[in-house]
Amino acid sequence: MSAAGSSNPEYVVARVRARRGSLYGDEEYRKLTRMGPAEIARFMEESSYGAEINALGSRHGGVDLIEYALNRNLAQQFEGILDWSEGSLYDLIARYLRKFDAWNVKTVIRGAYTDADQSAIEVDLIRAGEFDDRRVRRLLEADSIDAVVEVLEDTIYGDPLREAYAEYEETDVLVPLENAVDRAFYERLLSGLGNDEPTRQYEAFLKAEVDFRNATNALRLARSGADIDPAAYFIEGGELFSRGSLARLARNLDELVEYIADSQYADELGPALRELEEADSLIAFEHATDRALLAYGDRLGTVHPVSITPIISYILAKEREVENIRAIARGKEAGLSADEIESELVIT
Amino acid sequence: MLEATNALGNAVLSTGGTLTDPSAAAALAVGLAALGAGYAERGIGSAAVGAMAEDDDLFVNGLILTVLPETIVILALVVVFIV
Repeated sequence: MSAAGSSNPEYVVARVRARRGSLYGDEEYRKLTRMGPAEIARFMEESSYGAEINALGSRHGGVDLIEYALNRNLAQQFEGILDWSEGSLYDLIARYLRKFDAWNVKTVIRGAYTDADQSAIEVDLIRAGEFDDRRVRRLLEADSIDAVVEVLEDTIYGDPLREAYAEYEETDVLVPLENAVDRAFYERLLSGLGNDEPTRQYEAFLKAEVDFRNATNALRLARSGADIDPAAYFIEGGELFSRGSLARLARNLDELVEYIADSQYADELGPALRELEEADSLIAFEHATDRALLAYGDRLGTVHPVSITPIISYILAKEREVENIRAIARGKEAGLSADEIESELVIT
Repeated sequence: MLEATNALGNAVLSTGGTLTDPSAAAALAVGLAALGAGYAERGIGSAAVGAMAEDDDLFVNGLILTVLPETIVILALVVVFIV
């Protein structure tokens, strides 16, 4: 669990591959979409989520139980992966998992903003990132946004948050703080990557993710027609957009769609873009980007068998599984039919 | 460059350097083979332990796969007997 020494991809890949085998497949999803929340919880208890369901079963019930068990299982698995990896491998994995740190920081800031009580914030945290328990505890104990910023002083979020806090004090909206956290995460994500072939593949994947995030944000802005500066939401590091081109394209939906259709992602996103033009629905586009990323992740898992790529591929697949089960449980709670829920799932 | 190498080879041969001794060369061959086997077992071994940590039933498979590169050393040992 450190960035020192040489990396040990063989060990981590072997463990991760064994775990990948126990992820849910088409068959399980089909069963799950026909169950109620209680049955889903029981089904999960008999699979790899058993320990979490049992630990949380006395305190929560129904869909909340499923949700918290999913979060905790995800956190435990990813912490495990970070624990096993050494050397440059640790650095590469931690880069991606820091997104959970960013998520936690944002959750705590929102909690402090709305004066939520400590245990309510705690259940929403996903402790999969790099922050250790002590820091998470101190974050939870911070009762104002100022205190949260202070706890994070010595992390990568320290300086950007401090700057954004001044802006927050003037305007009393959380957007600058959240943007600062996101930007700090994305800045670290793509800086100083190595130059061997698997790392380049990994970098290409991360860039695609940044591009899709930018594209989705721009599409949302273009469709809503809101008077917000698109450049403020721009994330550095992608290949598709620059700050200037995004700001220009976000003003005109047709031009933006055309631009994406001409890009290197045309094959993956083409059908979804046509649907966007016809039905005016962003959901299809967001699912298409998710599916494209997942397919890319699957491909990553097989090209370089002993490297970072199968591990990232597993992390993606696991994240997707958790999101799918959550979608099923929430869909059931809202009374959607099995077919409607199935259309919300992203399965490759 | 080539001539220099030739001259060097001649010099070594005429002075009877240790590497021209057949048993010394055989020893070197076995040593290098063992080094290779060790490097191979390092990767396979850590993968096998990882797989075993997830599923105990993989112990036998892991053990077999881990010692497979050992055959290189056994084959190299043949050289010792034929020189």
